Amino acid sequence: MKNQRIIVAIVLLALAAAPWIGISDYIIGVLTMICFYGVFAMSWDLLFGYAGEVNFGPSFLIGLGAYGAGLADADLGLPLPLCVALGTLAAVLGGLLLAIPALRLRGPYFGLITLVAVLLLQDAIVIFAGTTGGEIGLSVPDILSVNATVNFYYALGLLVIAGTVLLTVANSSFGLILQAAGQDAIEAQALGFNVVKYKIAAFVLSAFFSGLAGAMLVFYLGTASVDAMVDIAVGIQVIIAAVLGGRRTIIGPVLGAAFLIGAGEILRPLGQVSGVVVAAVALGTILIFPNGFLGLLRGRHSA
Amino acid sequence: MTGLLEISGLTKRFGGLVAVNDVSFDVRPGEILGLIGPNGSGKSTVMKLIMGIERPNAGKVRLNGVNLAGRPTYEIARAGIGIVFQHSRPLHRQTVLQNILLGLLPDRLTAMRAGADAIAHATAIAGRVGLGHVLQCLPATLPFADLRRMELAKAIARNPLVVLIDEPFAGLTSGEVKDFSDLIVSFRDEGRAVLLVDHNVKSVAAMVDRVIALYLGEIIAQGHAADVMADETVRRVYLGGGITTHERPVAIFANTQPILAVKDLSVFYGKAQALEKVDLTLHPGEFVSVVGLNGAGKTTLFNAISGFVAYDGAIHWQGRARTGQSAAAIARAGLVHCPETRELFGDMSVAENIALGGQFLPGPERLERQAWLFELFPILKARLQQSARTLSGGEQQMLAIARALMMNPQLLILDEPTLGLAPVILGQLSDALKYLREQTNITILLGEQNVTFALPHADRVYVLEHGRMIWEGTPTRFAGEMAENFLQA
Amino acid sequence: MLILQILIDGFAISALYALGALGFTLIFGVSGVLNLAHGAVLVTSAMVAWYVGTNEAAGALAGAASGIVAGVITSFVTYAVVVRPIQRSKAIPEVERELFVLTGTLLWGVMLQIGLGYIFTTTPVTVHQLVSGTVNILGVRTPTNEILIAVISWLTLGLLWLLVNRTPAGKRLLAASINPRGLTLMGVELDQVHLLAWGIYGVIAGIAGVLLGSFLGTSSAYIPALTGTAFSIVVLGGLGSVTGTVIAAYVVGYIETLTAYLISPSLRAVPALILLVLVLYFRPQGILGRR
Repeated sequence: MKNQRIIVAIVLLALAAAPWIGISDYIIGVLTMICFYGVFAMSWDLLFGYAGEVNFGPSFLIGLGAYGAGLADADLGLPLPLCVALGTLAAVLGGLLLAIPALRLRGPYFGLITLVAVLLLQDAIVIFAGTTGGEIGLSVPDILSVNATVNFYYALGLLVIAGTVLLTVANSSFGLILQAAGQDAIEAQALGFNVVKYKIAAFVLSAFFSGLAGAMLVFYLGTASVDAMVDIAVGIQVIIAAVLGGRRTIIGPVLGAAFLIGAGEILRPLGQVSGVVVAAVALGTILIFPNGFLGLLRGRHSA
Repeated sequence: MTGLLEISGLTKRFGGLVAVNDVSFDVRPGEILGLIGPNGSGKSTVMKLIMGIERPNAGKVRLNGVNLAGRPTYEIARAGIGIVFQHSRPLHRQTVLQNILLGLLPDRLTAMRAGADAIAHATAIAGRVGLGHVLQCLPATLPFADLRRMELAKAIARNPLVVLIDEPFAGLTSGEVKDFSDLIVSFRDEGRAVLLVDHNVKSVAAMVDRVIALYLGEIIAQGHAADVMADETVRRVYLGGGITTHERPVAIFANTQPILAVKDLSVFYGKAQALEKVDLTLHPGEFVSVVGLNGAGKTTLFNAISGFVAYDGAIHWQGRARTGQSAAAIARAGLVHCPETRELFGDMSVAENIALGGQFLPGPERLERQAWLFELFPILKARLQQSARTLSGGEQQMLAIARALMMNPQLLILDEPTLGLAPVILGQLSDALKYLREQTNITILLGEQNVTFALPHADRVYVLEHGRMIWEGTPTRFAGEMAENFLQA
Repeated sequence: MLILQILIDGFAISALYALGALGFTLIFGVSGVLNLAHGAVLVTSAMVAWYVGTNEAAGALAGAASGIVAGVITSFVTYAVVVRPIQRSKAIPEVERELFVLTGTLLWGVMLQIGLGYIFTTTPVTVHQLVSGTVNILGVRTPTNEILIAVISWLTLGLLWLLVNRTPAGKRLLAASINPRGLTLMGVELDQVHLLAWGIYGVIAGIAGVLLGSFLGTSSAYIPALTGTAFSIVVLGGLGSVTGTVIAAYVVGYIETLTAYLISPSLRAVPALILLVLVLYFRPQGILGRR
């Protein structure tokens, strides 16, 4: 546990120093995307790994954050921080609207309804293309920064804050109750805990960081689009990153995100085949090492 | 003194089945009440109804005069009722201390850290149940009894007025049973009301103040343990009207090659040992009963023999050592298992169920066999097009046996066929077994907790207790040595 | 006239949807697997049918046949490479199998999607029609191919019904979906039943894929939407319910056709999704329960 903290600290320091050791803006850009996806994946992990609920629609929350912020900026011309706040709020409210009825459902139905939520959001964006820009996307006038390094620090800061909060929560009494609820809801109730209350709270927290990261991503990319923020494929990436990195660890999903984004970039010269290779590696990892990268690292450590 | 926990008119129906019918009783502070009954009698359902895990169709559950029926489980827990489940799942990645701490946390989202006093309290509780030395261990490293201790600790952490305990001694050794009894008695001495649910008076007789016996969802007797054990109705449920035996001389079978020989069979479920070096031998045509209480290991033994669970030890089938066959291949070889859960195809008709049993028989033989079965169980012929799910419990059991017989078994394993059935059905089943024993050369292995049902047809009897074979002999000897023992000891 | 047009078009597309979703529900019923590579299996068949039928001068019929074979092969590979290893893995806890199967089939679907785009094309193509020309039905000019599609779909559905309800192998499939342990007790190897189920699944998905490709065209980009539609239909009908799936396919097919004709083709999918949400909230077990 102690070793792990030291390793995380070293990696973070190295990342913070990265822009100063002559890395190209392109690589800094990749690192920035890794940070954003890391936040998405760790937010998802709180819900799955701890609350035991499979949310197939992380991109519903991300998309609400992104379009909430984008619309506030493009249509209302509000200042950027306020736009981000509004986007986050949209994700939290949307998450609540989804979670309160959906968490009553059992078995695969919670997952199904989250999947449907994504499809509906996607359709809504296309239907109201006049406002949302539809399939072309919504350009925003404001931007985080024109400087790649500054943008990277924003994303890294977000990753550190989200990681700290989520890890603290996961290791707190709240996290303990959440795990009990996720593992055996009946027993958790018999111990006196209102299980649904904790799961909704976890969903809201997950929505908060997903929405916040989604909103900031809009001002990093300069546009809100279905392809980058809402599409099922985005949600799939997030889920795969979390499972691949090591579910139920909060940190593992960041490793998974780094692999997915990093490998995608490295293999880019291969063209379309790169996607097949990345998916195949991810599939192989899941089949052979179900505990993911972090499980693999830890396993070797203890052995 | 009035009851701390007052149950009145409690009723629960599952579809057409009345699992609990108008049950009323009180539990007083400083009292241990035993709720006993055979499997399927509704005792576990009563407990779930009290805890709010199932919603009652009618009736009240009053704690200190406040009706809790229909309230959510977590509110009932907060109101002062704690429960120890028979099967529990601890948090695997947390230490024993954290697991117990869980039971002390407030139901507030803002609870981030347990205070020092909570940790001290959890440590004290752990010490009290005998877990003081393993506070920092992970549950997976603990022996079975310690896991049960942890569940006790969690249940009393919130200082409940009433403690419900499901099958407190299942899977424990006699030394551990003593420890647990002392603990439970100490709960009573603190003024709590304790409700013990168990399948038999025997295991709880020494510690309970009163006993209530349930059968088919209704209370059939209550009072002091000794009175309930002596009660005519209770004895009929457990022992029937009286034991009759008709064993054939051992010599008939002694010289034949065993059809099944089980040697040193052990089965583990994780940490818990369900079977310990069990030996069992069956000769062709023999009828052998394995008698044992719920949780003794009968079902595990049968599942090992029919290839459904992994085991250590050797099983010889028709003289040959068995290695690695699938459960399906074992069944096709003539070792047919009719489990207590019956495993019918509920949405399929009686005819379809029977057809699936006879699918490997050539056409003419299948029809012949089917005709023979309809003579044995005429009711099935009348129900041919009805779906299996809609049959009564007795008819379902007959269908399960008929379906197994369609497999043309050389050895038929019957696990608890009497489970939850009314006495009149038992008579019909008993006649069928008599017929099978006398008119066919099928070897039969019957598992039962109902001794009266198990004995009349048996040539030999085994007694299984806590995963070990503790006795073997003829039914007549059993009637003399074990029967009374079985109910009371 | 418009009403008749909607009735006819809706009937054909619904029959196809029923066929497309049926394989999905069959696999779920028999082996408890929600195969998220379903759309990819459909499109693989369609792509192969298109490629063989158009490029090799082999003819539409040979194309269709190769498409179905491709569907069967893809189905078996999905089972052997993704589903079975996960179900047999000792490292994956029982309670998490479902998620791993979902994630695994999802990844496999992504691989197929990109692979198809790479091997064949990413632009939408149309599988060569088996028959050409139009027929006049009460004044509505209907492509003969559309009628053939409806007929083949219903024939396949009928054959499947006969197989499941009238043959011993079919009874075993049914029994496995009701009580797999009971079937093992009857001496039947579940592995064989699963292989049969995936084989049938491959055939139905192959036929549905080829027909869809000749009716609406096909593209690797359609894969997620196809999986989504099949998923919606199956959930709407009740997971594992065959009759429910067929009814739900007709509900969805007609709602979509109505929306496309009366409101706007671009909104095609929306009302069905809203219906799905309502069903999930108020009757999560779907229109019909099991069977």
